[in-house]
Amino acid sequence: MNAVRLSRISFRYEESRERTLNGADFELNYGEIALFSGASGSGKSTLMSIICGIIPHITTGEIYGKAYIDGEDAGGMTMAQINKKVGVVLQNADAQIIQSIVEDEIAFGCENFGMSREDIALNVGRACDKMGLSPVWNTRTLSGGQKQRLITACTLATGQKIIVLDEPLANLDGEGAEILAGALRKLASKGYAILIIEHRVDKVAPYADVIWHIENGRTERVTDKSGYVSQRVARILDICAPSSAGETLIRAEKVGFRVKDRMILSDVDLEVYRGERLLILGENGCGKTTLTRLLSGICRPTSGRIERFDSKRGILGLREKRHDIGVVYQNPNYQLFMPTVEKEIAFGAKDKAYARETMRLFGLERLADRHPQSLSEGQKRLVSVAAVCASAPRVLILDEPTVGQDHENLRRLVTLVSELHSRTGNSVITVTHDARCADALCDRAAVVAGGTIAMTGGKEVADNFFKNTEKRDIMRFYTQKSKVKLR
Amino acid sequence: MGTLKVKEPVYPLLSVLSSVTVLVFGLVTAKSVAASVYLGGVWLLFLVFGYWKSCLAVLPFAIVAGGIFCGITYALSKDATTTYAAANRIVAVCVAVIPGLALEPIALIRNLSGLRAPRIVTLGMMIALGFFPLLRSETVRIREAMITRGAGNVFNPRIFHRAFLVPLVVRLVNISDTLALSVGTRGFDPKDKNYTVYREVKFRLRDAIFALLLVAGSVAAVVV
Repeated sequence: MNAVRLSRISFRYEESRERTLNGADFELNYGEIALFSGASGSGKSTLMSIICGIIPHITTGEIYGKAYIDGEDAGGMTMAQINKKVGVVLQNADAQIIQSIVEDEIAFGCENFGMSREDIALNVGRACDKMGLSPVWNTRTLSGGQKQRLITACTLATGQKIIVLDEPLANLDGEGAEILAGALRKLASKGYAILIIEHRVDKVAPYADVIWHIENGRTERVTDKSGYVSQRVARILDICAPSSAGETLIRAEKVGFRVKDRMILSDVDLEVYRGERLLILGENGCGKTTLTRLLSGICRPTSGRIERFDSKRGILGLREKRHDIGVVYQNPNYQLFMPTVEKEIAFGAKDKAYARETMRLFGLERLADRHPQSLSEGQKRLVSVAAVCASAPRVLILDEPTVGQDHENLRRLVTLVSELHSRTGNSVITVTHDARCADALCDRAAVVAGGTIAMTGGKEVADNFFKNTEKRDIMRFYTQKSKVKLR
Repeated sequence: MGTLKVKEPVYPLLSVLSSVTVLVFGLVTAKSVAASVYLGGVWLLFLVFGYWKSCLAVLPFAIVAGGIFCGITYALSKDATTTYAAANRIVAVCVAVIPGLALEPIALIRNLSGLRAPRIVTLGMMIALGFFPLLRSETVRIREAMITRGAGNVFNPRIFHRAFLVPLVVRLVNISDTLALSVGTRGFDPKDKNYTVYREVKFRLRDAIFALLLVAGSVAAVVV
């Protein structure tokens, strides 16, 4: 008996004219980890919603075909009945936490399923052990990675034999990914059925038994796993000529940043030169984003100093010529506020002609009259970059531009940023943990570790950083497999 | 708030009732000397029951606020009895907030859950508790995003509406959608009666003693 079987499933959202799924088939067996991948908007989350009962019980639309959960026709099951069989880990862990203590948060699902107090205590303890959490921790002070692990622990504690995870690695650093992958591998070896939906196929593929691909609402089981993975991890080529170090635009000297008792950065020395592309690398939570906030002047260092220079005026004040630095946030929703895409790009633009030119370059003319918040996540990302670029900043800061982007969207975005860089000679600072775009956005790389700049250098520094990360991933994978066999 | 935590707090619902009782009896008897004795006695009762941090924390406020209000009252009325009553009222408010300062909201929610209060109410309370820190962090992020887009002036109503309110509402709607899905997929059903309360708060002997002493004191304050 399959854990999950979808047969010729088609689905159209109420507000949409087109079908998101079009005769999709899918199978997941007990004891198996399946990776499900495809481009943004191809129907991955829709398929997940059908498996876990969100469709049709919360989100409605036209649905055809049959879905079987643990051999039972899902059409005759209530959402609560489905959720007793299928545990779900949704994206955006931050928004899902309701309790103030880790133990209470994990116990919440168990309480809903009417488990005995003894069982709840046991399951909470086990889930905490598996995910490396302490039951007494305050949920409000957890890091992004810890929150992701907590939400995963909530699902593990409720004990369903079928587990679905939607982009579970999005906020996890190496250690967090190791803990999660290890736990999932162990569960699969105990007969659990696990479905992982991820863009980052290179990170999950080593742990997966089968890979499924979705395109235009149709699913396909991948037979050539290695070919599929290598196609999607292909590095984007650098189309810009290498730049030589120009004049200094920003200089950080012995910069430190502390929040209460926690030192985030200390003794950071870094210069940003005119016309260079600087890549900032490091594990999650090492202070990369804080460094860009300091460089952009959004916040002030708690020690040391940051100076900005202008060839005519010399050293600039903190608020002087602030528009010289454009920052693109990880989450574009914060930066989009005008009623149309055209007005969004024109807001703060150098001039109207430049705004139009930027919109044309980014291929956004057909979306000119749309409300930015009505666009897909990939489109929102393009609009937010275009809007910031239209103000012609001398320094463009991109914070994790790859999050939630499929390979095609990412390639397009990187090409556009590179073209603008070649045309305008701006400086580009990119924070990323994605090897695919690193080479294309790098003249110089700085690695942040231990709260300071541990290393700087050319493309070779970025290459080594990602090679070492991959090596660590492979080592972890084989260590976990051997541990599983030993048990 | 965490610093005012009590090791063994009084039964949460009793704690809320004690606040109301002190406030009502303190205000009703404010003109009599018995009110001062009553409020002093309740303050000592809280102290004995482990609320010493909160008891000490309210003292500076009671002295400053009491001083200001008594000064204003005397300046307006020139009457010592009215001023004395005003002082007692301020002290009554200060003593009444002591259990509230030390009460952890989660304890009250567990207490209500244990008493089988409607689940939608306790869930709503839990979400409300997390809402304010979330609102604060979202506000900070949006303010920073406004600055980076050159829309830093929140005093301009158009900019405030477009660059602050619109992204804030969009974010909050997204968050609430995700939260609803998450709660639903974790088996929450407001109509389902077959759920467990993992941590129950029990009514103990010390809670009964606390309640008896408080009631006796309150009645004595009125009778005397």
